[in-house]
Amino acid sequence: MSFLSLQALTCNVGAFHLQDISFDVGEGEYFVILGHSGAGKTLILESIAGLHKVGGKLSFNDEDITKKPPEHREVGFVYQDFALFPNLSVKENILFAGRYKMIDDAKALLEDLVQFLGLEKIIDRRVENLSGGEKQRVAIARAIYARPKILLLDEPLSAIDPTFRNAIMKFLKDIHRRYSLTTLHVTHNFREASYLADRIAIVMDGRVQQVGRTNEVLSHPASLKVAEFLGFKNILPTSLLGSDETKLFSIDPNDILVSKENNLACDFVYEGKLEECMGIVDHFKLFISVGEHQFFVKSLKREHESCVIDRGEKIVIGFWKKDVCFL
Amino acid sequence: MRNWFTALLGLLGLVMLLFLTMPLFKMLVGNDVATLVQTLGEADVSASVILTMKVSLFSTLFALATGLPLAYLIARHEFFGRSFVETLIDIPIMIPHTAAGIALLVAFGHGSLGGFFDALGIKFIGTEAGIMIAMMFLSATFLINGAKEGFKKVDIKLEKVARTLGASPLKVFFAISIPNAKKEIVNGCLMMWGRGLGEFGAVIILVYHPMTAPVLIYDRFTSFGLSYSAPVAAVMIILSIMVFLSVRFVNNRLR
Repeated sequence: MSFLSLQALTCNVGAFHLQDISFDVGEGEYFVILGHSGAGKTLILESIAGLHKVGGKLSFNDEDITKKPPEHREVGFVYQDFALFPNLSVKENILFAGRYKMIDDAKALLEDLVQFLGLEKIIDRRVENLSGGEKQRVAIARAIYARPKILLLDEPLSAIDPTFRNAIMKFLKDIHRRYSLTTLHVTHNFREASYLADRIAIVMDGRVQQVGRTNEVLSHPASLKVAEFLGFKNILPTSLLGSDETKLFSIDPNDILVSKENNLACDFVYEGKLEECMGIVDHFKLFISVGEHQFFVKSLKREHESCVIDRGEKIVIGFWKKDVCFL
Repeated sequence: MRNWFTALLGLLGLVMLLFLTMPLFKMLVGNDVATLVQTLGEADVSASVILTMKVSLFSTLFALATGLPLAYLIARHEFFGRSFVETLIDIPIMIPHTAAGIALLVAFGHGSLGGFFDALGIKFIGTEAGIMIAMMFLSATFLINGAKEGFKKVDIKLEKVARTLGASPLKVFFAISIPNAKKEIVNGCLMMWGRGLGEFGAVIILVYHPMTAPVLIYDRFTSFGLSYSAPVAAVMIILSIMVFLSVRFVNNRLR
């Protein structure tokens, strides 16, 4: 039994369409929706919150909530720009849900939120003068005060100073555990996804491309499209590995060894020509052509003092089968 | 170069500013306080000023109740014919006021619509209701457009978040949309109310008696001349400015 289930969800807003969105989210899970800007990630969150008319089926705890209005869905929403109510103070923002529904242990919850989120000093302030981080904490407190079962976070780190990102990521995980939430977090940042997510859905052009456990998705993309999106390099045909199938594989540039001599004891070894070599802070970027294909290799400066050989000369590269990712 | 250009802008702007303020200034300094107080004490003057203020206020309140929902609909929803509806709202301020008065007379004075209101005991010729529709027809546009711009400025995400926090659409409208658009709404009301105060052309076609202040000023001017009508005009200008400035002052202090 899944906690939240999206089954063939569709939604049309202007010229944009969400198509056949299906995935399940388990209770207590931290689920990240990863995709480029304009992929439809926020629209998925808004559809879960009931803010758009959708097709397909949305169920929560096995109850069909497809047509349930947002005010009865028990979801908390934190937008990228926090969407605090300018006509209300920090405290009034947090207590907003209390005007419209009964909040269990409201007083204790407010005290806990104020203390845990460090809002004591700003509780009576107006919201327009708060910093980005303060606004985010108020928006999170406001959402949690309504005692939601699901917390929806729309790009929560994009409006935050990069210096504080690591701290905020840890903080988001702490909130998720402390308030026993099921969290859906939308981002375009792989680092955020890999640090926070139990599971990931990759969304592109209004469609879910892949869903799975974080490591599985980030290390084994299901298609060329996802591999390219995830920044996989060296996407090449399996014929190079001696396979008869017309599939693709990818090999991490860090997993490719280079040598002047043909002395590499790897599963796959190729002789190529060095096309370009660029020295970056701690490594060299080598572009090596092997027949009609080109390999991109990262060679650490602590392993090689220079570009191994001069541009245009012969070079040997090799890698192990265990490092190959088949697409 | 820049200083020269700024000076030119200032000079031309000053011409316009003087043009706009001189007649009012002349009006205010041209009548001594004693005359103004005495004028306000005259029964027909005070009655017409109160009538004008009151009916203009009522027409603003009526437009608030019906125009605000319309403004919200236009600001928030894409629907077929939206720009046509916006044009319809703008038309009344484009047409001559006397023509508008005639149109109102034709629509509400006789015929089925007039008959319908007649059956409800509401007459528009020679009544306060007639003054009200004349004022409303020519000034509701200011309120609707002001409110529309106000609602457009309210980030729709505020309303969406409020829904997820338990508020129904109606509650969101009152708790979030209106309070965050209130400056533009109040300014729109003020514009409508002020414009209603000065309505003459349409009012005079529908209602000569009871006299609103602009009709009284016109009546005194044509019957007795400038010296008899100027103090009434000055009283009206002072009262309008006072109300206008105080509401705007309060509105600017609203958070």
